[in-house]
Amino acid sequence: MIDALLIDDGLQDEMMGVFGQAAWACFQCGACTATCPWGIVSERSLSIREMMRRAQLSVGGAGGDVWLCTDCGQCLQSCPRGVPVSRVFQAWRGQLWKKRTVESGLTPVLWSVYWNGNPLSQPPSERMNWADGLDVPLFDAKEHEYLLFVGCTASYDPRAQKAARALVRILNTSGSDYGVLGEQERCCGECVLRMGHRPYFEDIARANLEQFRKAGVRRVVTISPHCYDAFNNHYPDRKEFVSIHYSQLLLDLLASGKIDLESTPSSRLSFHDPCLLSRANPEYETPREILAHFDGIEFEELDRSRAETLCCGGGGGRIFLETLPDERFSNLRIQEAQQHAIQTLLTTCPLCISCLEDSRSAIQVENLKVLDLAEFIVSAIVPDGRE
Amino acid sequence: MAVSLYGPEDARQTVCVYLEHNAGRLEDVSLGLISKALELTSGSDWRVCGLILGDDTRKPAQEALARGLGEVISIQHEIMTRFDVSAFTRACFEVILQEKPAVFILGATPDGRDLAGRLAVRLRTGLNADCTDLRLNLETGQLISEVSGFGGGVIALLESPAHRPQMSTVRPGVFEQQFVRPVKSGVIRQIDVSLSRSDLQSELLERSVGERLDLSKSQVLICGGRGMHGEFVQLNALAEQLGGEVGATRPPVDEGYIERERQIGQTGVVCRPKLAVTCGISGAFHFVVGIQEADTVVAINIDPQAEIFNYCDYGVVADAHQVIPALIEALARESHSSHA
Repeated sequence: MIDALLIDDGLQDEMMGVFGQAAWACFQCGACTATCPWGIVSERSLSIREMMRRAQLSVGGAGGDVWLCTDCGQCLQSCPRGVPVSRVFQAWRGQLWKKRTVESGLTPVLWSVYWNGNPLSQPPSERMNWADGLDVPLFDAKEHEYLLFVGCTASYDPRAQKAARALVRILNTSGSDYGVLGEQERCCGECVLRMGHRPYFEDIARANLEQFRKAGVRRVVTISPHCYDAFNNHYPDRKEFVSIHYSQLLLDLLASGKIDLESTPSSRLSFHDPCLLSRANPEYETPREILAHFDGIEFEELDRSRAETLCCGGGGGRIFLETLPDERFSNLRIQEAQQHAIQTLLTTCPLCISCLEDSRSAIQVENLKVLDLAEFIVSAIVPDGRE
Repeated sequence: MAVSLYGPEDARQTVCVYLEHNAGRLEDVSLGLISKALELTSGSDWRVCGLILGDDTRKPAQEALARGLGEVISIQHEIMTRFDVSAFTRACFEVILQEKPAVFILGATPDGRDLAGRLAVRLRTGLNADCTDLRLNLETGQLISEVSGFGGGVIALLESPAHRPQMSTVRPGVFEQQFVRPVKSGVIRQIDVSLSRSDLQSELLERSVGERLDLSKSQVLICGGRGMHGEFVQLNALAEQLGGEVGATRPPVDEGYIERERQIGQTGVVCRPKLAVTCGISGAFHFVVGIQEADTVVAINIDPQAEIFNYCDYGVVADAHQVIPALIEALARESHSSHA
C-alpha cells in the first residue's frame, strides 16, 4: 500500500520564506542528482531531484540525507533552469533546526559560535594566537586601507594558521596597509547559514556589519572563501564595504610589482579550485594568473578544475560531520593529483587544506605537498622559505 | 513568584542529602554528596542528614553512617522495590515538610533529576540543576550553586534567597568522596509514610541493561592514533588498569582497528576527562578539540615536532609501543607495593 502524501501548508509558507518562488522553476530533469559528487563516492547518491519535488509540494520530511550536501554548487552549475538548489537545502535544514532533529554534533557548533564567536569551541581570547611573533596591527580606519578578516579556521587550526602567517608575511613585505580586528573578530556566520539556521545567520550578519560600520571598514580581505562568499553574496545591505579574497589582493600586488619573486620553487604543481571561488564566485583565473608570474613553472591542471572542480567535502557544515573513509571527496582529489604525478597541490581555502591534508596522510602519499597559495608565494620571496 | 511551602524563617539549619543506592550499596554520587555536605557544614551547628528510600534500606543506611553522616532518615516500604517517581516524590515531600531542611541536594542522575524537578514544583521552590559546585553561607543559610553552561563557556552562581528548601542536583563525579571518621552515635530514623500500590504509576516488566558507551563521562581516557599502527591491546590494558576507556583518532577508526563510537574529536566525542594519554597521535586540530578540556594531557609521540606537544601538560618523545608496557609495569609495581 502506498502512504498518502500530505501537503503541509504551514511548511510551505515557511519554506517559501527561504527560497521564494525559486523551486518552482525546477522541472525535474535530474541533472542535479546526476552531477552531484555524492554519486561518485556512494551508491546512495543524494537525490536532489526528490528534495526539490518535495520542496515544491511541501510534503514529507527532509530526512538525514539533507545533511550530505556540501554546498559545492555543482547541481546549480548543471541546472538548466538556474534553480538555487542550496537555498532549498537550507530551507530543509532550517526545518530540522525547528524540529530539533538536526544531526548530532551540529548543535554544539552553533552554541560555540554563540558563546565563543567561532564554531570550533575555542576561546575568543586566543583568536590572535596565530600571529604570535608577527607584526599584525589592529585595524584603524585612518591608517589602514583594508581589514584583513582572518576567519575562524585560520585563527585556530594550526595547519591553517600557517597559511595565515604566510599571508601576513607577504603583506608586510609588500608594505600593505591592513589591520585585523584581533580578539574582537567573530565568525562571519557562513557555516551557520549553510547548516540552515538562517535567522541566527542574519543576527550574526547584522552584528558584524555594525562592527564594521563602527570601525569604519571600507574594504575587507578574507582568507577563507567562505567568509568572502558570505560577505559578498549573503550579507544583507552591505553597500558600505567591498569584500575581496586574498588571492585577488595578491594578484594586484604582483601585477603592480609590490611583490618581488626571487625564486621559483621547482616542483610539479597543480591547483585545487575551492568551490566558492569557482562556481558561486567565478574567480578561478586569479590563482592561475598569479602562478603565471612565476617563470618556468611546471603546472598541470587536474581533470576536474575551474567551474567543474571537485569539492573537498568540507563545505556546507560537513566539516563538522563525520564522512566515511570511502566517501571522502578529498581522497579522490588526492588520488587525482597522484595520477598526474603532482608534487605540490595548491589551493586557497582553509577547509580544503584541512580535508586534503587529512586525505593525503590517510592515503599515505609521501611525495605530495598540500600548500596554500600564500605559503607557496612566501617561499619564493622570503629567503628562508616557509615556516 | 510563588511562595514556597515554608520560607527561610521556618527552615532548619539542615542539609539533607538524597541517597541513591543499588544492590545494597550507596551510589558514588551520593557518597560524594555526603562528603560535600559534611565539608560545607564542618565546625558549625548545622545538621547533615541523609534521606534514603527503598524496600530495604538497612545496608546502605548503615553505609551512610560509616561514611560520616550522623543521621539518616529512612523510609522503608514494601512497594518501593525500585525508583518510581510519583511514589518517591510523595514520600520525600512528606519528609521534607516535617524536617524543613534549608538545603536539599541530590545527584543529577536520571532518577535524581526526575525526582528533583517534580519535588521542587510540589514544594513551590526553585531547583538548580546539574551543578558543578556548591557553597554554603553558614550565617545566612544561603546556598550558592555553581552551574556551568554551554560546554563550560559560562559559569553562573545561583542563589535562592526566599525559597526553601534550596534544591540543587549535582553532576556525578563533581564531588569526590573523602575519608571521614564514622560517627559512633549515628542514628537511623525510620519514618512511616502512607503509601499504597496505587501510588505507583509504572510497573516494571523487564529490566535490560544496555552496553552503551559514553566516553564523555570517562575520567581517564587512553587515546591511540595512527602511530599505534592498530595495536590497541596495550592501550586497553592501560585503560583497564586506570579504570578508564580507550579512545582513538580518525585513522585507526577508519582502518577498522576500533569502533567509531570511540572516535574522539570534532566529529566524534568531545571529552573532559581528568587524564588523557595520547599515544602515537600527531595532534590534528579536529582531534585536539576533543581532549583539550582534559585536566591533564600526557602526550607520547616519537616525533618531537608533533603538534600534540603544543597541547599537552607532559610530553614524552618516544615510541608509545615501548612506553605503554613500561608504564603498565610501573603502575602494577606501584599498586602492588601500596597494597603490601
